[in-house]
Amino acid sequence: MGAQIMFYILATVIVVFSFLAVTSRKVMRATVYLLFVLLATAGLYFIIDYNFMAGIQLIVYAGGIVALIVFAVMLTEKIGDKIESPSNMQMILAGLISIAGAGVTISVLLGHDFKQSTQNIGQNVATIGENLLNYGKDGYVLPFEVVSILLLASMIAAIVVAKRKFEN
Amino acid sequence: MGSSALVLFFIVGVFFIVIATSIAALFAPRSSNPQKLDPWECGIKPSGNAWIQFKIGYYLFAIIYLIFDVEVVFLVPWAVVMKKMGTVAFVEALIFLVILGIGLLYAWNKKALKWE
Repeated sequence: MGAQIMFYILATVIVVFSFLAVTSRKVMRATVYLLFVLLATAGLYFIIDYNFMAGIQLIVYAGGIVALIVFAVMLTEKIGDKIESPSNMQMILAGLISIAGAGVTISVLLGHDFKQSTQNIGQNVATIGENLLNYGKDGYVLPFEVVSILLLASMIAAIVVAKRKFEN
Repeated sequence: MGSSALVLFFIVGVFFIVIATSIAALFAPRSSNPQKLDPWECGIKPSGNAWIQFKIGYYLFAIIYLIFDVEVVFLVPWAVVMKKMGTVAFVEALIFLVILGIGLLYAWNKKALKWE
């Protein structure tokens, strides 16, 4: 019951702020609306007791990605200006495409036969940690170390690209 | 954990804020002038829009921050089971951190952390 009420509150928040994010004519405001959407999504993960995923959602998406988007927006010119309203033709086309996308998604969701999972999917942070660091058959220690190399590569790439832009 | 508790917490939270602000609105004396609505900026009269174009240097810091942010996500489950798994987990996380430390050294060496 409580979960249901929370779900509807969070779903309302997501729908309202998503709508505001795409209709806002000021790009900085759209970013802040997006932040609320991501926070409410984290709330949905908390409802289904997927605490680790909710933590990731808060740390990486609400924290990192939004910070990155804010910086990206702050780098653009004329942030304070209102963006022009799209033409009627654009609105109609975008509306049609959105409705088509929503139709496909909803029909797939309704057609799918959802079954309640009985196996442990490792919601527990401790379970995730054990699997992540286990070097046995079910362990993921190699991906864990590869991730650090991936992060290293992305950091070096970011610095190389950004530094080259500085010199110009 | 009870989602009902969460709902209750939510309602009580909203209730508190509504009560507090409405009591303040009812009893507090009120006066208003244009200066009160100004953002406080060390006594200097603020001019122009607050949303101005920032220096590109900030973006590099944001990217480096994001990478270490993602790193932290992987260290959280490690920290939870570290005590239980002992030396193996410690060595694995050490390798992970050393590889990322190389990235930090690279950033340092390329003066990406220097403000210019």
